[in-house]
Amino acid sequence: MRLFFSGIRKLYRRPATFVTFGLLVGLIVLILILAGATASRTVGTGSASGQSSRAAIKDLLTFPGAYDRMLSVVVSIGGLFGMIYGAAIAGSEWSWGTLKSAVARGESRVRYMLLSYASIGLMIAIGIVVVFVIADVAAVASASLAGISTSGLSDTSTLSDLPERLLKGWVAVMEETALGFAIATLARSQLAGIGAGIAFYFGEGFASLLLPDIVKFMPFSVASAAVSTGSGSGLGGGASATASLPADQALVMVFVWLIGCLVVVSLFSDRAEITG
Amino acid sequence: MIGTGGVRMGGAGVSATSGAGGASGTDDLALATRGLRKSYGSRRALDGLDLSVPAGVVYGFLGPNGAGKTTTMRVLTGLIHADGGTVEVLGKPFRRGDRHRLFEVGALIESPTFYPYLSARANLRELAASGAPVPSKRIEELLDLVGLCDRANDKVQNYSMGMKQRLGIAAALLSDPKLLLLDEPANGLDPAGIVAMRDTLKTLASQGKTVFVSSHLLAEVQVMADVVGIIAAGKLVREGPLKELLSMQGVIKVRVRPNLVDGAIAALAPLAKAERLTETDRDEGWLSVHLGTNRAEEVNQKLAGAGIYASGLESGTDLEMLFLELTGGQGPSSSEGEFVGLGSPNGAQNGGAPAGKGTAA
Repeated sequence: MRLFFSGIRKLYRRPATFVTFGLLVGLIVLILILAGATASRTVGTGSASGQSSRAAIKDLLTFPGAYDRMLSVVVSIGGLFGMIYGAAIAGSEWSWGTLKSAVARGESRVRYMLLSYASIGLMIAIGIVVVFVIADVAAVASASLAGISTSGLSDTSTLSDLPERLLKGWVAVMEETALGFAIATLARSQLAGIGAGIAFYFGEGFASLLLPDIVKFMPFSVASAAVSTGSGSGLGGGASATASLPADQALVMVFVWLIGCLVVVSLFSDRAEITG
Repeated sequence: MIGTGGVRMGGAGVSATSGAGGASGTDDLALATRGLRKSYGSRRALDGLDLSVPAGVVYGFLGPNGAGKTTTMRVLTGLIHADGGTVEVLGKPFRRGDRHRLFEVGALIESPTFYPYLSARANLRELAASGAPVPSKRIEELLDLVGLCDRANDKVQNYSMGMKQRLGIAAALLSDPKLLLLDEPANGLDPAGIVAMRDTLKTLASQGKTVFVSSHLLAEVQVMADVVGIIAAGKLVREGPLKELLSMQGVIKVRVRPNLVDGAIAALAPLAKAERLTETDRDEGWLSVHLGTNRAEEVNQKLAGAGIYASGLESGTDLEMLFLELTGGQGPSSSEGEFVGLGSPNGAQNGGAPAGKGTAA
C-alpha cells in the first residue's frame, strides 16, 4: 500500500494530471456550449440542414438521454486523454530513471508498474466522476441556451443506473489508459508512447471505414461500444466505428485488452534491461 | 577468503594472491563476483570478472571508459542480468529474483534520478515508499547530512548538478545500507562537497559499512579508498589494499649526467631485472627503476658505489601511474574508444618524471 499511496501523491502533485484534466474539461465544455449556441441559431430557420443539426443537438442535450451521451463523450474523448496520461506516467518512469532507483532499492519491477497503474486508476475514477458532472452541467447550460427542455434531468430510473454506467465507463477508460501505459513501457519513452497512442486512436478511426469487422474488436471501438446504449452517437475519432459489438461482448473485449496490456507491461518490465 | 592484506592480479584468468589469505571463499566479503560475464550483442562488457570486496572498507573501483564499471554496477543492483557467473551480496547469493538482498544495499548508479516536479524532501519520501521501509525522521537526517535542509522544499528541476548529486547520495543512504554502491559520486560536487563526501564515506566505512565507489577521480580514490580493484576490458587486472599495490608498483627515478646513463644502468642492474630498469629520457639522463619506494637510499648507494652521483632522485608512485600502467595498453579494446590527446609540447609521451611523493635526494 505504501507504493500505491506514493503513486497517488506523485500523480496529485504532477502538473500533467491537472493539465490533462483541464484540457479534457475545457474541450468537452467548449463542444457542448458550441452545440447549444449552434442549436439556438437554427431556431426558426427553415433550411433542412439547420433542422437536421438542431435535431442532432437536441438528441445530444435532451435529458435523461443526455446522461448517456455525456458518458459517451467522456469515455470517447476521456479515453484519448487517459491513454495520453497513462503513456506519460509510464514513459517518464523509464525516461526519468525513477523506476531504476526503485529497482535498485530492491523493489519489484512488476509490482511497481502495476501499482503505478492502479494509482492512475484512482485518479481517473475521480476524474471521470468530476468531468461527467461538469459535462452534465454544461449540457444543461447548453440546453438552456438552445431552448431545449431539461425536464428529464431528475429521471429516477436513469439516475439509479448511473453508478453502474459510470463504472463501465471507468473500466473502458482504464482499458485505453492501459494501452497508452503499455505502449510507453515498450517504448520506454513518454513521447513515443503518446505519439504511438494518438496514432493508434486516429488510425483505428480511419481503419473502421475500411475494415469495420476487424476494427470493432479494437481497443477504442470496444471501449466506446461497452458504454453505448445503442441510441444516438457519441463523439470521438477512434471510438466511432461504423460497426460495433453489443455492449456485453464489448465489455468482455475491454477486459481482454486491459488484462492483455497489463500482462505486456508486467512481462516487459520484468525482463527489460534497465540502462541509461 | 581475501583479507585486506592480499593483492590479486587478474589477466588471462589468473588470480594470484600474495599476502594474507588467498583462497577463493567469500565468507568475510561484503560483495563478491565470480566469473561474471555480460555481453551486449557481440561486445563483451564483462569477461569473467572476479571482485572481492572486504566488509567495512572503502573500495575504489577503477577502469578506463568502457571497461565495464557501470555494467558491473547495474548487475550488482539487479538492473541488468549477467549472462554468467555469480554474485554474492553481504555473504548471500544474489540471483535473479533475490531482490530483497538489495534492501541492505544503497546505490547511486550513473546520474541521480528524481521526479523533477517534486521537492527534494518529497522525492526522498516517495523513493522511501519502495524497497525496505524507512523511518520518516531518516529523511530529515539525510537532508541535513547532505546540506539540503534549506532547499528541501524546492523542486528538484531547479537544482544544480551538485545539489542533485548530493540528493542522490542521500537517496542511496535512505535505508541505512550495509553496502553502498556509488557510481562517480563526486560528479558535479564542488571541492568542499567532495571533501565532505569523502569524510562521510570514510566515516561510514569506520562504522563497519562497505562503500564501493566507482570513480574517474584517481587522486580522490587514492585519498579515500582502502582497497582498489582495477578492471580493463571486463576483467580484473589488479585488486588489493591500496598501500600494498602502490608499494609494489613503486618507481624510483634517477637523474644522472647523460654520458653516465649506461654506467648507471650497469650499476643498478643487480637491484632490478632488466625489464624493471628503463631509460625515461636519455638526453636528460633520467632512468626509472621499478622498485619499492623504500629502496631509494639503496639505489643512491649503488650509484655512489659506482662513482656516479645522482643529480636528482625521486621516489614514489600514485594511483594514476599504477592505473595507466595496468590499463594504458588497452587502447582499442576500450569499447568507448580512446582519447588520443594532443601529446606533450616536446613530443614526448608520458615522458615526465613520476609524480613523486617523496624526494630522497
